[in-house]
Amino acid sequence: MLYRRIGFGATEQELSAAVSAGYSATADSLLGGLGQPDPGGDSIAPPSFEPVGSLRTDTAARQAYIEALRANSRELIVWWLARMIATTNPTQEKLTLLLHGHFPTAISKVHFAQFMYRQNQLFRTQGFGNFTALTQAVAVDPAMLIWLDASSDKAQDPNENFARELLERFTMGIGTYTENDVRAAAYCFTGWQLNLRTGGFSISALDHSNAPQTFLGNPGINSGTQVIDIATSSAASARYVPSALWSHVASPVTPKAAVVSDLAPGYASDHDVANLLRSIVTNPEFATETTFSGLIKQPIEYVVGALRALSVTAAQVQAKPAGVLAVLAELGQVPFDPPSVGGWGQNSYWLSTAAALARWQFARRLSEVGDISTVADAPLRSRVDAVGRLLSVTTWSSTTAKALSAAASRPENLVTLALVSPEFVSN
Amino acid sequence: MSEVSSGEHEEAQATLSRRRFLSLAAAGVAAGGAASMIGPVLWDQLSRAGAAGSPGNLGSTTGRTLVLVTLYGGNDGLNTVIPYKDPSYLSSRGILAVDPSTVLDLGDGFGLHPAMPQFHKLWTDKHLAIVQGVGFANPNYSHFESMDIWQTAQPDDPSGTGWLGRWMDKTGADPLRAVSIGPTVPTLLTGAKVQAAAIAPGPIKLPGSAADVALYRSLADTSKGEPSLLVEAAHSNADLLEVNTVLGPVLDKARTNPLHLTGAEAPSTNGSAAALAIANGGGAQSAANVLSTQLSVVANLLLADVPTEVFSVELGGFDTHTEQVTTQAALLPQLDTAVGAFLDAISSTKRGRETVVLVYTEFGRRVVANASAGTDHGWANVVFAAGQPVKGGFYGEPPSLTNLSEGNQIYNLDFRRVYATVLDQVIGVDATTFLGGKFSTVAFV
Repeated sequence: MLYRRIGFGATEQELSAAVSAGYSATADSLLGGLGQPDPGGDSIAPPSFEPVGSLRTDTAARQAYIEALRANSRELIVWWLARMIATTNPTQEKLTLLLHGHFPTAISKVHFAQFMYRQNQLFRTQGFGNFTALTQAVAVDPAMLIWLDASSDKAQDPNENFARELLERFTMGIGTYTENDVRAAAYCFTGWQLNLRTGGFSISALDHSNAPQTFLGNPGINSGTQVIDIATSSAASARYVPSALWSHVASPVTPKAAVVSDLAPGYASDHDVANLLRSIVTNPEFATETTFSGLIKQPIEYVVGALRALSVTAAQVQAKPAGVLAVLAELGQVPFDPPSVGGWGQNSYWLSTAAALARWQFARRLSEVGDISTVADAPLRSRVDAVGRLLSVTTWSSTTAKALSAAASRPENLVTLALVSPEFVSN
Repeated sequence: MSEVSSGEHEEAQATLSRRRFLSLAAAGVAAGGAASMIGPVLWDQLSRAGAAGSPGNLGSTTGRTLVLVTLYGGNDGLNTVIPYKDPSYLSSRGILAVDPSTVLDLGDGFGLHPAMPQFHKLWTDKHLAIVQGVGFANPNYSHFESMDIWQTAQPDDPSGTGWLGRWMDKTGADPLRAVSIGPTVPTLLTGAKVQAAAIAPGPIKLPGSAADVALYRSLADTSKGEPSLLVEAAHSNADLLEVNTVLGPVLDKARTNPLHLTGAEAPSTNGSAAALAIANGGGAQSAANVLSTQLSVVANLLLADVPTEVFSVELGGFDTHTEQVTTQAALLPQLDTAVGAFLDAISSTKRGRETVVLVYTEFGRRVVANASAGTDHGWANVVFAAGQPVKGGFYGEPPSLTNLSEGNQIYNLDFRRVYATVLDQVIGVDATTFLGGKFSTVAFV
């Protein structure tokens, strides 16, 4: 489970090594990757983005501009997928994905792939550290400045978009602040500006309100940086951030959950994301049946996990990405394109009939092109176990085992069925 | 029906359980027969008869269809149904005010946004109802909680089942009672036991032989004690097979002889064209009208008279904190064209003439513009109901532009009254059961 929840599944070698090393050493090894090099992921060349020029009014130039934006966006998406497939530091790549879901930002509004790439690198290189520092960095990064309109804010009548989502979604959770706090925070973020050409951040003295605000009971506040510091240091945030991370690697909970009471004091002491992740996977509640069967794979986890398990390489996907991109779109989760600042849903959200069809079609194609030799070469009676090892599924239910046994004589059909089984669809 | 034993057949006839009946139909199709069971026969024999036999007679009794259009982001109702003769409108909205000389007059001092000629035609034909001042008490201006409140109809605890998900739970196990067009199912159609079917535009192609399908189906033969989430995953697989049985032939036919609403993405032979456009980096830059694409699917299904009683489609991007004028001018025509062309296309059939389209969003927007040429999250808003069963006109009270709460127009009509109306008049069930209380109806249907 550890490999699935803080990675993208394990190879058979990794699993046997983990069994002999023990849980705690395996957790240390995976978490130890945070902040370390990633030879596999780094072998994927960064996107080279073609210049988009500037937006002109004549139709042909406008079309060329839009085409360039699209090409860059596609290159960016394929780059990250390739990186997730190739990574040898899966926990770091997984945390990057989870942070993208926590600070959802969509290229459909940001438009410039370069800015989305920059934010993605920020999650990768700073995401495991101090959450306050991360939030400060995300807030002044171009993608977020565009996404939540901070860069068009003016002192006299501030736009509340960033202030509200910062408190509600990123740091504190709904019901832990007042409308006056939202308005006070919005004043503090006025004048935040982005230079679209350089990606540089500045605060316009002309547009920034210096009027002192009272924010969460603290008087005399007039800077956005102070707002973020206060919000991320609040007692509400000490419960909200652990509950958010727990929801994505264990099972969905609210900030009121008992397990959050366990995690909050430790997190409040250092606001360190890597330490929080360690506390989560070593919490007794993480090893329970509720957690074990409490999470459905997000489509990106599902697709990347399946590709890795069947040894489809990043290069193969880069050469012919259309099928993988299509299945992610059909499943409702294209990287860099969350539907709103709420990000993606969880569990039931991914269990639609449309998704079931998309998964099945993908599974069929994948079992034809992927490496299933460990299953095909196994004796008939041990193929069900073999496909479990291939897909990092430790236990099949009796229902699934029966169906898989019936398909065992045809390895491609067996792998297809296993890929759409509840055990592999869940995380 | 060669694969079905007479004993099973009698059992099905006796209980008239639709899910069971559809499984029999699937067996017939797999055996190469019973193609005639798809289409009107299902509607007449299964929906009506099935409803009559279901607990408490809660199934649809009206023969009507509800199409829900959810606008995500919070559409600015004040610049959609515009009080253009109210001097406070121009003074409050300033640069964001729509030029009064361009609005499409509705009478009583109101006018529609100039980009909505189809809605205006519906109004003139008395097939458009505009319910004003709609909302709920104690708003918190969060997109997510507000939309959850709208979709669960439970303002005190909006974390549970959808308002029509509860209707599905209570009236049978069939996922095809309601269909969402798109990859995921919105909360409103998610019950505790039943989730509406979701389909993508495009045909359904099951990637396997009949034997593969049988094994796939058997994954859902779950036993007691298995974890509920895994059972749910297995059931979504089984539900897909029912969708394929009932809607597959219709969607296939729609591919060879498609109804194609203006602006819709061309139907694809390989999965969803809209999905592919997104995957190719199209995103919001895609030129197609995504709502037209979704409503084209609904129109094709309605013209084939499938047994579905509720459809859900959606359009996003209405969160106009900045550049509101440009954004609304791009989105409202999509809504206008899609709904207009949809109602027009289905009007040739009785089923189409008994269809009601309901358009809502999570909240209105603040009366006074912010300094980014946009508006922040507000409160009261308008709801549209359109279609031939609709009694056109204004309903509810227009909220004041001067007596505001934190800068927002104050609601005066609980949104659950709108739901009570469609539950009562379109679906034909006792709304109290599903809304957790008695809400008086509004006379728009």
